[in-house]
Amino acid sequence: MWYGSFREQVVNLHNEAERSELSEFLKRQGLLLEADIEYTIALLDGRKIAAVGSLSERVMKCIAVDGEYKNMGLASGIVTNLINEAYARGKTHLFIYTKPENKCIFTELGFYTIAEVPEKSVLMENRSDGIKRYIDEIVNESRTKGDSGAIIVNCNPFTLGHKYLIEYAASQCRYLHVFVLWEEKSCFPAEIRYRLVKEGVRHLSNVILHSGKDYIISNATFPSYFIKTYEQWVETYARLDIEIFAKYIAPALDIRKRFAGEEPYCRVTAVYNEVMQEILPAHGIDVQILPRVGINGKPISASIVRALIRSGTIEKVSGLVPESTYRFLLSSEAEDIIRHIRETDQRH
Amino acid sequence: MKIHQTGIAGTLESSDITIHIEANEGKGIWIELKSTVENQFGKQIRYIIKDTLQKQDVTDVFVRAIDKGALDCTIRARVLTALSRAANCSLKLWEVK
Repeated sequence: MWYGSFREQVVNLHNEAERSELSEFLKRQGLLLEADIEYTIALLDGRKIAAVGSLSERVMKCIAVDGEYKNMGLASGIVTNLINEAYARGKTHLFIYTKPENKCIFTELGFYTIAEVPEKSVLMENRSDGIKRYIDEIVNESRTKGDSGAIIVNCNPFTLGHKYLIEYAASQCRYLHVFVLWEEKSCFPAEIRYRLVKEGVRHLSNVILHSGKDYIISNATFPSYFIKTYEQWVETYARLDIEIFAKYIAPALDIRKRFAGEEPYCRVTAVYNEVMQEILPAHGIDVQILPRVGINGKPISASIVRALIRSGTIEKVSGLVPESTYRFLLSSEAEDIIRHIRETDQRH
Repeated sequence: MKIHQTGIAGTLESSDITIHIEANEGKGIWIELKSTVENQFGKQIRYIIKDTLQKQDVTDVFVRAIDKGALDCTIRARVLTALSRAANCSLKLWEVK
């Protein structure tokens, strides 16, 4: 048998039968069919699945070749198909998750390793200088190095809770690097979230703002954050994201402390914080998990702000966000966003 | 010729080459090559890519190539296809008699 004698077929992910057959195949290979998959290609030997691969925006994952069909070049075929599909969708900077034992296959296909969790997963990208370019960018955005701290935020939107966290963190180090998540999976677009953070921390002279882009809690480094349901891979993804932070970002900016808000409600983020506390101290980075600031005993969170907006009681939001955020919410620029929150069930 | 977007052509199969072309304003022709026969033919492959581009009057591009042992004709064909996709126009490839 050779590659040409297999049939290529796009899997219909909305069809129960096809989806569960795919899920079963992946389970046998030790993988999970992840909820954010948008496109799946399968290579079939007659009616039998020989190999599969999937795409979630610019991330290729859930790629597996059945034991019976190894060493036939099927991985190449799957990956070529996924790359072409991603390009057709306008994504050219691609990432891939695979088992470490398959690293050499993908190196041959033009991928470069970013980070690895031994025996579990390795994250690779199709640029030799991808992460390096990002590091150069954030170093350029920073004035100087030395005794720095970091905090990663989504701020959907920026609240008084975030303000308190950042103010406290900034008081604990010489420079505080604030990274704003850059995925467009939140109600508030990345540009807006970044801008509201910028306005909200203007009074802090030692804060340096960056966008997280592809390498800090993105769909590429920690997809679980956006899928939001806990499953066995969350811990592995968290390890990969934190490994990237410890290996590339912290040394480049001389970061010695990392701050995060306590996560009483979301298991995914709670696991992430636990993994941080396990891994970072060994790299010389002190982790501080700060309790959420509250009003009337209830912690201020962006999801409560969104819930208030959804229920139409936007006046109640004024007590939970700084002036700059509230002003934005009342402006005409925020109209589309507010309407979107009110009309949909989007959780974040 | 104006490069508007990233253009790609080719597959990862043996004897083929994948070419990615993107703009590289003011920096000339840069070629990043990964080849299974780098030691034997690396220089030749780079020459073919550059020559094909220069014949199309292209001066500033960043080319990422993943080669799996492609022949010269295959390399030229893939470069031209990727280029036409990146520039979003058809190329003048032969003379009309």
